[in-house]
Amino acid sequence: MTVPPERDSSGRFIKPEQEAPKPSDEKMHPMAKLIFGWVGSPRTPIMLLILVILICAGLVAFDLTVNRHEYLDFANANGFYAIWGFAAFGLAVLSGWPLGKLLRRDEDYYGEADTTPQDVESDS
Amino acid sequence: MSGLLGQINPGLLLVLVGFAGCLIPVRRVRQALMVGTPVVAMVLLALAERGTDLSMVSVLDLELILYRVDSLSFIFGLAFLIAAFLNAIYALHTDDRLQDGMALAYAGAAVSATFAGDLMTLFVFWEITAVSSVFLILRAGTKAAYQAAMRYLGVQIFSGVLLLDGLAYVYKSTGGLSLDAFTSFDQPGAKLIFVAFAIKAAFPFLHNWLQDAYPKATVVGAVVLSAFTTKLAVYAFARMFPGFEILIWIGAIMTVFPVFFAVIENDLRKVLSYSLNNQLGFMICAIGIGTPLAINGAAAHAFAHIIYKGLLFMSMGAVLYRVGTAKASELGGLYKSMPWTTIFCIIGAVSISAFPLFSGFVAKAMTMSAVAKEGYIVIWLMLLFASAGVLEHSGIKIPYFTFFGHDSGKRVKEAPFNMLLAMGLAAFICIAIGLPTIGGFGYGWLYNMLPCTVTAPADVCMLSGKEIKPYAPYTVDHVLTQLQLLMFAVLAFILLKRFGLYPPEKPGTILDTDWLLRKPGFGMVKWAGTVWGKAGPAMTGFFAGLGARTFEKIETTFSPRGALARGPLTVSMAMWSGVLLGIVMLVVLLGR
Repeated sequence: MTVPPERDSSGRFIKPEQEAPKPSDEKMHPMAKLIFGWVGSPRTPIMLLILVILICAGLVAFDLTVNRHEYLDFANANGFYAIWGFAAFGLAVLSGWPLGKLLRRDEDYYGEADTTPQDVESDS
Repeated sequence: MSGLLGQINPGLLLVLVGFAGCLIPVRRVRQALMVGTPVVAMVLLALAERGTDLSMVSVLDLELILYRVDSLSFIFGLAFLIAAFLNAIYALHTDDRLQDGMALAYAGAAVSATFAGDLMTLFVFWEITAVSSVFLILRAGTKAAYQAAMRYLGVQIFSGVLLLDGLAYVYKSTGGLSLDAFTSFDQPGAKLIFVAFAIKAAFPFLHNWLQDAYPKATVVGAVVLSAFTTKLAVYAFARMFPGFEILIWIGAIMTVFPVFFAVIENDLRKVLSYSLNNQLGFMICAIGIGTPLAINGAAAHAFAHIIYKGLLFMSMGAVLYRVGTAKASELGGLYKSMPWTTIFCIIGAVSISAFPLFSGFVAKAMTMSAVAKEGYIVIWLMLLFASAGVLEHSGIKIPYFTFFGHDSGKRVKEAPFNMLLAMGLAAFICIAIGLPTIGGFGYGWLYNMLPCTVTAPADVCMLSGKEIKPYAPYTVDHVLTQLQLLMFAVLAFILLKRFGLYPPEKPGTILDTDWLLRKPGFGMVKWAGTVWGKAGPAMTGFFAGLGARTFEKIETTFSPRGALARGPLTVSMAMWSGVLLGIVMLVVLLGR
């Protein structure tokens, strides 16, 4: 059974959005296939996340076994660098939302937008 | 023979060959000179005797020291020469006489300024760096590049004028032009010279010339520009203002604020320019600390930074060259077409992020330790925040959005071989000076060149009164804590992307402090121009009429037919002598 096409508020049929075709990998560089062949796999993101979580857990666990000698006392606390790194990165990235709204203007805001330098020989 | 060769200033050689190169039409001959001259210059530098005035010239009663090498100038000069060599290889695919020549002359001016033994010589080469480098922006050939080049030139020349004013005060008060470090801002000329250096080092609120001009330069030009001007300023600060506490705070602010701009910037060459600011902050902060460990940290950071920042600009240049854009919103998936460029960019990215085994780690560790050792808690926390920030914009954003992320579908050729060769050599250095020392290979090579070594310390190392001690970057503490910081930041990135919290890359212009000059400032100038355009003719008519009437009166009074000529000559002479004497006495009285 086929699903009837949806209509908009004025009763016109809405054309279903077609997904953009996936870019072809035919012209992929042979070296890229060799070194980065794993990148395109659908399992890669989750595997990468698991790997990073394991490394992070290992680093915190190892910190428990090491008696560090920092110049600043509070930095000796277990996991201090881990928390600071996570929080600092999160703060920097999340600040991009309000800052983008506040500071981003059109590309030609100062007049003519930047164009490509003349020594570029693009083949894309 | 080697003694004589050791007296030739390698920077001056580069300047002369660079200017001559602009006139050589045969491409291969010119390019051979561009690549070969930095190598010859490195040999000359190796032959130079340390700590003595090697080349002097007398100009208008001024004894100028054109060439003097010590352990502080050596490491900066060597880094500049290596950069000049790599840049010349990177430019081999182009056939641009002016760009080739000016790139070498610019590098040579920076080297000459580094080896200058007095303020006047420093000033002359300071200005040559400004004038020669502007062509690297102009050669982009776009209207935006032309306008940015003019703004760049104005700022750079202004820095030179301040330096000239400052050195005049120094000369007047001391009778010499020594490059000895200042001890206080109360010394004549200190403030002017400080601001002159601050402009070139792109201090906060004086920084926008960098983000304005560098991304608009040619592909090769941006790579060349990234190496010299700002690091010359860092060298100048290390030479003349070590231990000035204000630099600690300015440096820390410099590390932090670019992080926020880099997050929202779409043009990846501009992101790298903000990143440059951030890296300079670490060096400036270390110079402010001023201890031998901190000075070593600044010098090591500058050396490593010149190479890895050059590498990152090279990789983005290669992308721009092949794809036609360096905007994150239009890139992605390029690892499929440019795998070698991807690898080299990743090496640059992990180096700047200071991952263990790469150059940034052994360089930045010294600065961080020096700050913590002196008990600057807030500053240390700011630098630690900035370290995570570097990972965000240079370590992840640059390679991820260019080579991975959303596949843009762009399938291009790999970068030209000469670009890959230059990137490969830079990547090799990033690894070679970052590894633990094994059999003479590793970070020991860099550490042996540092300015504050026990055997031959530079003068600036003694000013803090602190003892010079060897430093070991590869301790369990350092490696563990740095990995914790970076890996948890990587985890944050993955989670933010996964939950859709990472801001999307969007085209646009990001407002920075240059808005004040380019909008209200330009508006004021435009308004003043309009007012003058309307009021000018009326005022000109008024003053012209006034002038004509005054001249007529003077003529009728003083001319042979005038009023004064009618009476006895002696009377009028006496009267006017009295008037003039009165005026002179009044001026003398008021002028006392």
